[in-house]
Amino acid sequence: MNLRLVHRRLAVLMGLAGLVAFAGGAGFEPVSALLATVALGTALFWHPDRELSARMERLWLPLATMLVVRALWHVFVIQDDIVIPVVDLLLLLLAAEALRSLEAPNDLRLYALSFALILASTAYRPGVLFLVAFVSYVGLATIALMVGHLRRQSERHEIRDVPLGRNLLGTMGVLSGLILAVALLVFVTFPRVSQGWAGRGETMATSIAGFSDQVSIGEHGSTILGNPQIVLRVEFPDGPPSGLGGLHWRGRSYDRFDGVRWTRSENLPPSSAPTSWYRDRWEQDVVEQRIFGSALDTRVLFALHPALEIDSDNGIQPLFDNAGDFVYWGRGQPAYTSWAPTGPPPAEELRQPARGYRPSDDHFLQLPRRLDPAIVELADSLTEGLDNRYDQAVAIRDWLQTFTYTRELPATARETTLSHFLFERRAGHCEYFSTAMVVMLRAIGIEARNVNGFLGGQWNDFGNYLVVTQNEAHSWVEAWFPGYGWVEFDPTPAGVGTTEIVSSWFWPGRILFDGVQHRWNKWVLDYSIDDQVGIFSGLLGTRTLEEELAGTITSTEEPGRSPWGALFLLVLAAAGWFWVRAASPTFDPATQMYLQLRTASSRAGVGVSPGLTPLALVDRIRSERSTTARAAERLVDLYLRGRYGREELGASELREMREALRVARRTLRQRSVE
Amino acid sequence: MVFTLGTVAVGFAAMNTGNNLLYLLLGSMLGFIAVSGWLSEQAIRGLRVERRAPRAVTVGHDLRLAYEITNRKRRLPSLAVEISEEGLPEKAFLAHVHAGGHATARSVNSFVRRGIYPLGSITLSTGFPFGLFRKERDIHLPGEIIVWPRTDRAVREPAPGAGKVPRTGMSVRGASGSRGEYRSLRDYRAGDDSRDIHWKSSARMRTPVIREYERDGAETRWICLDLKGEPGEAAEVAVEVAASLAARAVAQHRPFALVAGEEVVEPANGMGQLERVLDVLARADFKPDTPAPSPPVAPSNCIVVGIDARSGFGDSLAVGRLARLGRGEEAT
Repeated sequence: MNLRLVHRRLAVLMGLAGLVAFAGGAGFEPVSALLATVALGTALFWHPDRELSARMERLWLPLATMLVVRALWHVFVIQDDIVIPVVDLLLLLLAAEALRSLEAPNDLRLYALSFALILASTAYRPGVLFLVAFVSYVGLATIALMVGHLRRQSERHEIRDVPLGRNLLGTMGVLSGLILAVALLVFVTFPRVSQGWAGRGETMATSIAGFSDQVSIGEHGSTILGNPQIVLRVEFPDGPPSGLGGLHWRGRSYDRFDGVRWTRSENLPPSSAPTSWYRDRWEQDVVEQRIFGSALDTRVLFALHPALEIDSDNGIQPLFDNAGDFVYWGRGQPAYTSWAPTGPPPAEELRQPARGYRPSDDHFLQLPRRLDPAIVELADSLTEGLDNRYDQAVAIRDWLQTFTYTRELPATARETTLSHFLFERRAGHCEYFSTAMVVMLRAIGIEARNVNGFLGGQWNDFGNYLVVTQNEAHSWVEAWFPGYGWVEFDPTPAGVGTTEIVSSWFWPGRILFDGVQHRWNKWVLDYSIDDQVGIFSGLLGTRTLEEELAGTITSTEEPGRSPWGALFLLVLAAAGWFWVRAASPTFDPATQMYLQLRTASSRAGVGVSPGLTPLALVDRIRSERSTTARAAERLVDLYLRGRYGREELGASELREMREALRVARRTLRQRSVE
Repeated sequence: MVFTLGTVAVGFAAMNTGNNLLYLLLGSMLGFIAVSGWLSEQAIRGLRVERRAPRAVTVGHDLRLAYEITNRKRRLPSLAVEISEEGLPEKAFLAHVHAGGHATARSVNSFVRRGIYPLGSITLSTGFPFGLFRKERDIHLPGEIIVWPRTDRAVREPAPGAGKVPRTGMSVRGASGSRGEYRSLRDYRAGDDSRDIHWKSSARMRTPVIREYERDGAETRWICLDLKGEPGEAAEVAVEVAASLAARAVAQHRPFALVAGEEVVEPANGMGQLERVLDVLARADFKPDTPAPSPPVAPSNCIVVGIDARSGFGDSLAVGRLARLGRGEEAT
C-alpha cells in the first residue's frame, strides 16, 4: 500500500470536510468554492511530479498575493467582512498544497489549513451540516494522522512494508468514535462561564414582511403567500396548550393610521397595562413558551399576549417599549422564555364597567382625517344598543367575520381603501380586517390598535414543538379594557392559521429536517449553563436553583426521578479510579506486602520517612514493640530475599508474609489505640 | 507542543467567547490527546524483548543488533515502536507486531573506539498513533559488547631476533590445528578450527571439545604491547598495530601470542586465538607508569609495540611519532 498516496488522499478529504463545514456556516462565494472543490477533487486522483509541482508553485504565488491584496482591500478600503476573503485565501493555499507532488513533506500544512476552515466556520452559527462535516473530519483526521505518522516513521527508518490492513483502519475508525465521545463529554460538562455566542455577521438574517415601523394595508398579502420560511420554533415545557392553531404570536403594535399606512408614534407615552393586572385579573393557567426565533431583519420578540415575563436564554437582552412590545438587543437568533395566561378574562368580567387608567386618546382613538363617515355610521349601527366595550367589540368582530378572506390584493389603488373593503369588496386579507375593526372601535370611543404577528403554526411531532412560518403572518386587534389592559380580538374569518396553506410536497421532509436543526440549535449552539445545571440536576435527582426559588415542586408532586443518573456518575468515577490505579506501577505481592507494612507503621505513628530502608524500618519498629518487630522482621527478611536475593518466593513464603503482615498490622493498630 | 498549545488556545477562545462549537473542537482535541496517550501506552506495553547481539565487533564495522519482540497483548497490535540502546545513536524500528505475534527489529551502529561497552537498558518509545506525544518505557536488559581494535592497519613485517623459543622456556601449548604432538582436550571456543574437534569426546560430553597439540614454538610470533603512555590517539594506534600483527599471523597460518600488561595469551593460531587476543587488546589500558612487558619467553623473541621504542626486544614498533604526525600507515 502506498502510504504517501493514502495519506495525501486522507488529508485532501479533511480539506473537503473543512470546506463543507464552512459552507454549512457562512456559505461561500460560488466561484471560489467551486474552484476549491475541483482542485481538491483533482488532488484525490492526480498528483504532479516534482518538476511540474515546482512549476505550479510559480502560479500559486501570484494568486495568493492577489488574494492577500484583496483581503487588505476589504479591511482598509471597503471595510467589509474579512472572513470570506481570508477563507478564499485559505482555499487557494489548501488547493496549492493538495496539488503538490507526493514527496512534499507538507502534512502539517494540510492539517492546519483544513483545521483553520473548521475553526473559521465556528465563528458563524452553522447548521447541522457542520455536524456532519465535523464528524467526518474527526474520523478522517484520526486515520490521516495515524497514516501520516506511520509514513514518516517508515520513511525515516527506510521500511517499505508497513502493514496497513483494514483491521487497523477499522480500529482507528472506532477510535475516532472514542474521540467524538470525549468531545461530547467535554462539550456537555465543561462549565460555561460566558454568555452564548451570537454568531458572526448577519448572513443568515431573513427578511420578513409586516414588522417595520410602518405597514400599509394592501401592501402585503401575496408577498407572504407560500413563504414557508420558519421564523419561530416554540416549545411548551408543560405540554402544548389546546387550540394551537388559534395561538396569536404577538409581535408589534401600531397606533397611528392615516387611511393607508399604520405607523408607530415616536413619542408614544407609556401605554401598556401594569403586569399586575394581567397577573391578578387574567386568572387562567399560565403557559410557558420556550421560543427559538430565526435571525430576522427586525428585532422583535414574538410571544403570546400578554407576556408576564420574558427571560433571555442565549444572551440577548429583551427590552420593553412604551407600547408594551418586546424587542431585543443583541445579535444572532434570539432564544427566550415567555410566560402568558392561556386566554383573556371571562366575557362576564370584561362586560363589567370598570374604571381605571386609559391610554392616550391622541394615539389610540386617532382616526384618519379623511375617514369615510360611512364607516363611523357603520360602527355606530353595529354597536347600537350595546352598553359595554366587550359586546361592542364582539359585534364588530362578528360582523367582519362574515366577510371573505383572500390574499389577493386589490387590483387598483382605489380598491385599496378601507371603504372599498367594507362596502364593496367585502373580502381581503388580515390587515384589512384588523384595520377595519380598529377604526370602527376607535370611532365608537374604544381605545384600540393594530397588532402584527403570527397565527397558529404546525406541530412538529419529531421535535415536539410548534413551527411557525412566514405563511402564518397575521394582523389582529387589541382593544383596551380598563383594569384588564389590552385584550385581543381577531376579526379575520377562517382561512388562516390552518395547515391548508402549507402545500409543498417537501414539507414533511422539511419538518423532519427542521426537527434535527432545532435540536442542533437548542442543544449545541445555544447550550448554556442552565442546560448543564438541568442535566446534572436531573442525573443526580436534585432540584435546580430555579426550581427551589420558584417552589413549583411540592412534596406531593415530587416527580419520580431516576437514581440511575447518580449511579452512572458513581460508576464513571469508579471506572476512572480503577483506570488511574491500573496506570500506576504494579508491584509483586511481596513488595506490596512490604509497602502495606510501611503504610500501617506510618499510621501507627512509627516515623516512616521516604528514604527509610527496610532494615531501618524493622529497627524502628523493634524499639517500639517486640511482637510487631518479630512479624515485621520476618516479613522484611522474606521481602529482601525475594527482592534483592533473587530468590523465587513460593506460595508458603508468601503465606508466611501475609500472616506476618496480619500480625504486624494488628499489633500496630493496638499500639495506635493505646 | 504545537498541538497542546493549539488546544489551550481553542479552550481559551471557547471560554472567552462562549462559542459552543469551540467547546466541541476543544473536546475533540482533548480526545485526540487522550486517545494518543492511551494508544501510545498500549503500543509499548506487553512487549517482551530479547536482544541478539554479537559478542564483539571491530571498530568501524557495523554492529548489527537484533531484537526479538513478542507482543503478549491479546487484542491490540503494536506499531511504530522505536528501540534504542543507551549510548547508541541508531535505533531499531518495529513497524508492526500483531497481538500475540513475534517480530524482529534491527539496528546498525558502529563504534569509533575499542573497549568494553556495557549494554544496560533498552528504551521502547513510540509516538503512535498520531505523533503528537511520545511515550517511553525502559527495559533492563544487561549485556556487553566488546569492541575490538582495527586489524587492517598497514604494518611493516617485523623481524624479531632468532624467533625461536628456548627449549628451557615456557612450553608452547594450545596451538590447535597445527599438528604437533597431541597434548590434551579442551572446550571448543569460537574460532577454533572445526577439524580439531574430537567428535567422540564431544558426543560423550555433549559439548564440543577440541584437541590440543604440543609442538615446536619456533614459528610463534610473540607480540608484546607496551602499555606505557598516556591514553590517546597514539595508544590506540599502538593497539591497532598489535591487532594488525595478530591478524597478519592468522593470515600467515602461524601461531602467535600476546603479552599486554599482566595479561598473557598463550600461543595458538587461528581465528579463535585472534579473538582471544583482540579481547585482551580491547581491554588494554595505557598508563604512564606501566612497566615494560615481561613475556614468559626471552624478550629478544618478542616484537614490542608501544607508543615509544623499547630496547631489549627482538623488534620494536613505535607509533608515537606516526600518531603525532597524524599518520597511521606503517609503524616503524
